[in-house]
Amino acid sequence: MTALSPKITQRVAFSLLLASAVTVILPVVVVILVIVKNGLAAISWEFLTTMPRSGMREGGIFPAIVGTFCLVAGAIVFALPLGLCAAIYLSEYARQGMLSRVVRLAIVNLAGVPSVVFGLFGLALFVDFFRFGASILAGSLTLGVMILPVIITSSREALDAVPKSFREVSLSLGATKLQTIKHAVLPHALPGILTGTILGIGRAAGETAPILFTVAAFYLPRLPQSVFDQAMALPYHLYVLSTQVPNVGVPIRYGTALVLLTIVLLMNLAAVTIRSHFRAKKKW
Amino acid sequence: MSSPVIQTEGLSLFYGDFQALRNVNFTVMEKRITAIIGPSGCGKSTLLRVFNRMNDLVEGVQVSGKVLLDGQDIYAPETDLLALRKKVGMVFQRPNPFPISVYENILFGLRIHHLADKRRGELDRIVEESLKSVLLWDDLKDRLANIATNLSLERQQKLCVARLLVMRPEVLLMDEPCSALDPMATARVEELMQELKKNYTIVIVTHNMQQAARVSDDTGYMYLGELVEFGPTQKIFTTPRDKRTEEYITGRAG
Repeated sequence: MTALSPKITQRVAFSLLLASAVTVILPVVVVILVIVKNGLAAISWEFLTTMPRSGMREGGIFPAIVGTFCLVAGAIVFALPLGLCAAIYLSEYARQGMLSRVVRLAIVNLAGVPSVVFGLFGLALFVDFFRFGASILAGSLTLGVMILPVIITSSREALDAVPKSFREVSLSLGATKLQTIKHAVLPHALPGILTGTILGIGRAAGETAPILFTVAAFYLPRLPQSVFDQAMALPYHLYVLSTQVPNVGVPIRYGTALVLLTIVLLMNLAAVTIRSHFRAKKKW
Repeated sequence: MSSPVIQTEGLSLFYGDFQALRNVNFTVMEKRITAIIGPSGCGKSTLLRVFNRMNDLVEGVQVSGKVLLDGQDIYAPETDLLALRKKVGMVFQRPNPFPISVYENILFGLRIHHLADKRRGELDRIVEESLKSVLLWDDLKDRLANIATNLSLERQQKLCVARLLVMRPEVLLMDEPCSALDPMATARVEELMQELKKNYTIVIVTHNMQQAARVSDDTGYMYLGELVEFGPTQKIFTTPRDKRTEEYITGRAG
């Protein structure tokens, strides 16, 4: 067989690479288009701000939106401080040895645990053991545990990216280690930490399995009154509309999907914006 | 005649098994510029970092002997490390201002020590004073809000000195402060050092022998962790006693 000329090889390689890229992008575009096309008709002020009616076949999805926001807020309140403190300990204080490598490995593995396992974990620990019952508290904590590895990993990366010289200068000016972290390291790592947190939260907002056993209500005709109440949530509501309730109109189902998709995409967009804004500003 | 500010007695330092300083007896006189010269890896930066105990950050470091600052052993267990570092400030090889405004860079030391809870006017005065003492005020008075890392390297380095002066140190340690600068900028930083000498005691580590000869009053030559020779700069550069010093300053070794 004669060898192909480098020019032709080059062209073939380029086409294959391009085809791969398109194959990756195409499904995303199609999914978004289908959801927008079928769901847009349902979107109205009423859809976003009223209760479901007629066995969820009519009316809005307001309680599900509120529920999702409550869960997300709860997950941030729990997971951000905890994850950030863990990341600070791991990258600023812990000795780089066997233990820190094991912890790092554990965190990576935690990120790979299927979300339904987190759901069962939340059921066992928060709902049953701590007796929180199926509640916003239990659901938020479960989601928080699920996104902890994302927050820890991205916070560590952000902390490690702050130049060593910042720490040196601060220490040489007579700062303690804690003052150094607070004044010379954290401010410069914050954009990275925020980005990671938002990406984690975006994932949490869209998950069904972790909230299935811990908080999600099939149908609740009122808004949650406290953290010990159950709540509806968008992903679970979508599942319910699509599989558990007969004869739900296409627009309502796709409209719910569109709202969820929009929330998640907006969060990711915020993360990307923060990152690129600070990347342009940082110089070291 | 000025008095000694820093004195080391039989100072040895180990990084793990590696001995970086061997029985060093070194003296820094008040309000003079003391230079430490020598080839790479001779321990001159290590010696400098003994004086503000920045070596403590290195794992497995061990120090023996005495290091006296104003007569107090800074390696004694009762030493207040944070007070020591305020008293003995450091300028690093690469200018390292924070990527924040010029104004906030200067106030950094005050902010960490919660001394910046003063009125705005007071802070403005501190910033002006410290920029004036590093000869930057005229250049930067209209650009205090600029991000410091966008300044020229020379200004960045001077700004780092200004950031230090806010802490009211006694001693300034300079670790090859001009190695990132061009000759013109170097000359201006050396000018600044002469200016600072009136109020501060300065120790400078430099690769550049001409620089040591130009700016310093006393010079120590280090080789393989040993302080080979120490004395008035004039004497070291004209009539060195040790053969190794002579070989280094005449460019035959190192």
